[in-house]
Amino acid sequence: MEASATKAEPRRNPFSSPMARFIYKRVLTFIPIMLIMSLLIFIIIQLPPGDYLTTYIAGLKAEGQVVEEAEIAMLKEQFGLDQPWYVQYFKWIWNIITDFNFGYSFDFGRPVWPVIAEVLPMTIAVSLITMLFGYLVGIPLGIYSAVRQYSLGDYVLTFIGFLGMAMPNFLFAILLMYGTYIWTGTAFIGLYTEEILLAVNSGAMQWYHVLVHPDFWARMTIPILVMGTDGLCGTLRSMRAQMLDELGCQYVLAARAKGVSEARIIYKYCLRAALNPTVSGLSGMLSKIFNGSTISAIVLNLQIMGPRLYDALKAQDMYLAGTILLVMGFLIVLGTLLSDIVLAWLDPRIRFEGRSAD
Amino acid sequence: MEMNNQPIIQVKNLCVDIKTDEGTLTPVRGVDFEIRPGETLGLVGESGCGKSLTSKAILAINQKKCVSSGEILFRDDKEDTVDILTLDPRGKQIRDIRGRQISMIFQEPMVAFSPMYTIGNQINECTRLHITKDKKESKRITLEMMKKVGIANAEKRYDQYPHEFSGGMLQRALIAMALVCKPRLLIADEPTTALDVTIQAQILELMKELQKELGMAILFITHDLGTVAKMCDRVAVMYLGKIVETGTAREIYKNPQHPYTRGLMGSVHKIGTLKADRLFSIEGTVPLALNLGPGCGFYDRCLDRIEGVCDKADPALTCLGGEHCVACHKCRKEGV
Repeated sequence: MEASATKAEPRRNPFSSPMARFIYKRVLTFIPIMLIMSLLIFIIIQLPPGDYLTTYIAGLKAEGQVVEEAEIAMLKEQFGLDQPWYVQYFKWIWNIITDFNFGYSFDFGRPVWPVIAEVLPMTIAVSLITMLFGYLVGIPLGIYSAVRQYSLGDYVLTFIGFLGMAMPNFLFAILLMYGTYIWTGTAFIGLYTEEILLAVNSGAMQWYHVLVHPDFWARMTIPILVMGTDGLCGTLRSMRAQMLDELGCQYVLAARAKGVSEARIIYKYCLRAALNPTVSGLSGMLSKIFNGSTISAIVLNLQIMGPRLYDALKAQDMYLAGTILLVMGFLIVLGTLLSDIVLAWLDPRIRFEGRSAD
Repeated sequence: MEMNNQPIIQVKNLCVDIKTDEGTLTPVRGVDFEIRPGETLGLVGESGCGKSLTSKAILAINQKKCVSSGEILFRDDKEDTVDILTLDPRGKQIRDIRGRQISMIFQEPMVAFSPMYTIGNQINECTRLHITKDKKESKRITLEMMKKVGIANAEKRYDQYPHEFSGGMLQRALIAMALVCKPRLLIADEPTTALDVTIQAQILELMKELQKELGMAILFITHDLGTVAKMCDRVAVMYLGKIVETGTAREIYKNPQHPYTRGLMGSVHKIGTLKADRLFSIEGTVPLALNLGPGCGFYDRCLDRIEGVCDKADPALTCLGGEHCVACHKCRKEGV
């Protein structure tokens, strides 16, 4: 009796739903993509002539110090730089996989991971806040601009949108810093005031204490404006264009003809369709959260990931640079997957991959 | 009974203006017609003559840049007459008329549904807006209408998306969406042009059946004279934003008066004609409704034009007896 009951029941496959199968496939492709990417990163970092030691020794010599050949050889051996690049690569990858050990930062004289980890919380905080600012302001303004096309508000927003996209961030940063210095007499440079910096260095304050400090938020205004405007203006322009496309669709007319209110037409129908490019843009977001706006961060003197990668590349601190790039690559792949999932959720045509149900 | 024969809708001197940089376009230039309960009026004309703008003006769903003037008097279900043009096009009152009392079937069913929501969701939206907020009851009403328009397996179809429907099925769904609230007036804007011929016949048959059952009036807009003959009680022929001839379908077919109507009739292929006979076509195209002269709009293309008369004054619609009216100097001169 029981046997026949199980027979009648079709076997449940965990991957039977199209969505689950889609995610499963994409996760599997993760592994080869990451391996190829790590190899490429390693090769590219090795491409410039010389290595960390040559830069280091050149620096010492420039200061007039005498460096013994034997000492150089010893350092080379210590850092593993005497081995061929593929051996170095496999050692690096092997240690990451087996030990979560990303190698050694020559410049900091410490393992790579703590060097990254110490700036990670503040990096994520700064990026997330600026990004949220961009989306939360950009999307509604884009909708407004489209719905009230050719109104005064639309013209003003269009002007701001183009200006924000055209102006280099660092220039905007410099202008804002100059302006605030003229008006308030304090230089808004870096994320920390002296007081916070002392407290952080002495260990009295953790990053989460910093986040709730009012002075920190005063300092954040310029970075939010500078880094946020870029995303904001892009979002605004693309939302406006998409919304205009959708508002011109016949289904809008059909919805209107059955008595649906304008607000509902906009939010139920148009917005959902118009979000597509913005959501596709999310694929790069995770990576940007980890490391975005390097130049602005340098200009504003923010202690976040961007400047750290820049310094590592300059100093040929290859494991630090490689690890930052590798994490960025991983986050791009992960972000693409996440944005695809959100897109499939938004749009049924993507969910069915163009197949009809019958 | 007498009340019932009063027109459901009266359109009086309807004009639609569009402001452009080059001047004001007037694609609809003083249209008058009325439709009585249970009647089908066919609005015929070639592309660009203002048929669609006229129909959308009735629902006040033209784009913002289109300004309508004149009167559109609609007799609603409380027997009150409202002038639709005086209502706020975004207001509650017009939204209560749209979908519930006057509804519309569009030309291309493939784009009249949003691809983001299921067919059931979109038809049911109409039910929930106008009939009942009760979820179960409204779904029941929606499903009933889907079955009535011939959508087989309606329960399953309810949860499917537009891209899973064929063109003919989508048009049926669109009809279900237009009829689910049992409107008093249905505007059908070229409802079969996007469909193949066998499906066309089915859809027209379906519309006639439902009209009989629900007793609604239909404004049937088309450029296909064949479907007009099949569907309509009365016909209004439109050219360059004006009605040039109107009458019962029989009068228009048997005895067309206006040179444009005659041209239209001549350009229909008749079975049995010799192969060598080429189809008649009206020379030229509809002029742009911008800075029009004082004369008849059809003057440049007319084969029977009278110089010195037709280019001086625009002829008014004159009745020839019965329902038959025509706007042409020549017809009036001859005193038909």
